[in-house]
Amino acid sequence: MNDAAGYSLRRRLVWLLTGTVAAIWLLSVLVVYQRAHHEADELLDNQMTEVGETLLAIVAGGEVEHFVKELHEHARHNPVPIAFEVWLNKDGEDRRLVISPGHAGFETGTTPGFSEHTHQGARWRFYSVQDDDAEYRVVVGQSHAARERLAREVGLSLLLPAMLALPLMALGVWWVVGRALRPVDVVARQVGALDAQALTPLDESAPLPNEIAPLRSALNALIRRVTEAFDNERRFTADAAHELRTPLAALKVQAQVALRAQTAESQQHALTQVMAGVDRMTHLVEQLLTLARVDPARQGAVPRPLDPAGIIAEVCAELSPQARRQGQSLTVDAMPGCRIAVTAGWLQIALRNLVDNALRYAGDGARIEVRLARTPSGCTLSVADNGPGVASNLRSQLSARFVRGEVESEGCGLGLSIAARIATLSQARLELGDGLPRADGGHGFAATLHFSEATAAV
Amino acid sequence: MRILLVEDDRLLGDGLKAGLTQSGYAVDWLRDGEAAVAALSTESFAAVVLDLGLPKRDGLSVLQWLRGRGDATPVLILTARDQLDEKVRGLDLGADDYVLKPFDLDEIAARLRALVRRAHGHPEPVLTLGEIALNPAARTVTRAGEAIELTPREFDLLHLLLQNAGRVLTRRVLEEQLYTWSDAVDSNALEVHIHHLRRKLGNEMIRTVRGVGYMAAAA
Repeated sequence: MNDAAGYSLRRRLVWLLTGTVAAIWLLSVLVVYQRAHHEADELLDNQMTEVGETLLAIVAGGEVEHFVKELHEHARHNPVPIAFEVWLNKDGEDRRLVISPGHAGFETGTTPGFSEHTHQGARWRFYSVQDDDAEYRVVVGQSHAARERLAREVGLSLLLPAMLALPLMALGVWWVVGRALRPVDVVARQVGALDAQALTPLDESAPLPNEIAPLRSALNALIRRVTEAFDNERRFTADAAHELRTPLAALKVQAQVALRAQTAESQQHALTQVMAGVDRMTHLVEQLLTLARVDPARQGAVPRPLDPAGIIAEVCAELSPQARRQGQSLTVDAMPGCRIAVTAGWLQIALRNLVDNALRYAGDGARIEVRLARTPSGCTLSVADNGPGVASNLRSQLSARFVRGEVESEGCGLGLSIAARIATLSQARLELGDGLPRADGGHGFAATLHFSEATAAV
Repeated sequence: MRILLVEDDRLLGDGLKAGLTQSGYAVDWLRDGEAAVAALSTESFAAVVLDLGLPKRDGLSVLQWLRGRGDATPVLILTARDQLDEKVRGLDLGADDYVLKPFDLDEIAARLRALVRRAHGHPEPVLTLGEIALNPAARTVTRAGEAIELTPREFDLLHLLLQNAGRVLTRRVLEEQLYTWSDAVDSNALEVHIHHLRRKLGNEMIRTVRGVGYMAAAA
């Protein structure tokens, strides 16, 4: 259940609970012991007062000899034996009348009330009382040790059951904690039984305590996310592999045609096609790698807000030779002043793909406009062309991987997927819509990235 | 033999057209499903090589439409997907054969020959009529065991006639099966080829059915 690095929650709970309870218990026992001690002291003092006063009354009544023996017996059988002395003061002379057997006289003064002195080498407590005429004086004494013993016995009688109960309580806590933690075991077993290849969420219908249910929900949410990401990756790998089959087939067929060609001209043609095929596969592989690189795990820290104008100018400058070659006009309208939170490299990739798409699909001689505009809620970056456009019912599929438009092109169908992915990861939105108006009244294609304005410096 | 190739990928389509032409087929190449449907509704082909992922109308839909109108033209499907269910779906919809990309040109040519042979009810690879034997795979013709040199067009014409031995083939059918749209056809080209074949194989084998067409029959 526990390993070297971790610790057992159960053991820790048992220790903490038992320790805390034991500490509180001991403290209360200590207080009780003090109280008991005090009570016992008070009780014994009362007893001494009573014995002393009774004795004085008897002595004063003149029946000393008759009662002394009885009193002595009585005092001896007290839980704490009481010794006594009786003095008579007559005509200014003190005379001891009676003394308990075994005692040679208490070395006490004549002050009435309680006092403590050493007697026979031990500590004693005395109580002295005299009659109104100061004729008779009675002193009763008790061994301090005996008194202590009694008080301690009373205290211990309270402490002992507590000491015995502690291990029993620890055992009970162990059992109760184990029972309370059983759902954790159950969840642990369920998680342990999960198949990494086919993750399925845990059964949420089984009741769990409120403390553990959120853990299961969080775990299930994670499982769903991981499963989705996993499926997505698996689908992507399969799609990518299939996408490679067609260019591979083309390469093989063209190579075979070149090998068998009867004329130099047809061989030349086939070999040129082989070269074109290699170029196209290179582009596909590059796009696949780009898509793989656009990974949140590689983004690092939260991107700092930046002004996209510079990146836009850079990307368009880079692609303008291609536009010129195809007789297309590529214009940029990007006023500085927008602040958006996006990783610079990603923005570059997204924009390059959008412009590249326009160059590929808008056709020779088309007009392409890249525009950065401020909106109340942020900034929009749009790439619009006056090419053939895309029917609105097809637009929703375009950003899926490997989907190309209806127009013939050498594209591999990943450009918009890459842009859409970057948009998602940058909390932006990619919108596909109508582009620039054409001479025939129709519209070209436009891809617009909606960024929300970056809030102050992050 | 005239083949309709429907493949949207420019490089692959171009290569297949060149390669199948090298193997002796007359190839017409179209690049989307709707064009394929339009061509198939007006003309006849010995076989169709059909890619599945086509713009405008996908390959399976074209196949379904073709079988739906009772057209039994052999169809060979090209696909990039190797999942079994897609294979099964294609075959269930009436495809005759299935090739996974990337493939070998020879394999495509051989599969097409087998498809055409079976479509004409000739399970054996060599067509014979009397002393004449025609091997479509090797593109050779023998008469009583002796090899006879034929031009590609003569071979294709003889192939057609032997496939349909005992049946009359009209001029229009023969021309449709022999020539692609890009071939410039002289009005008397067919007669010239027939004349040459008769000279090489003997006069009796190919009969002229006046006002209708030609027929191959055992002497």
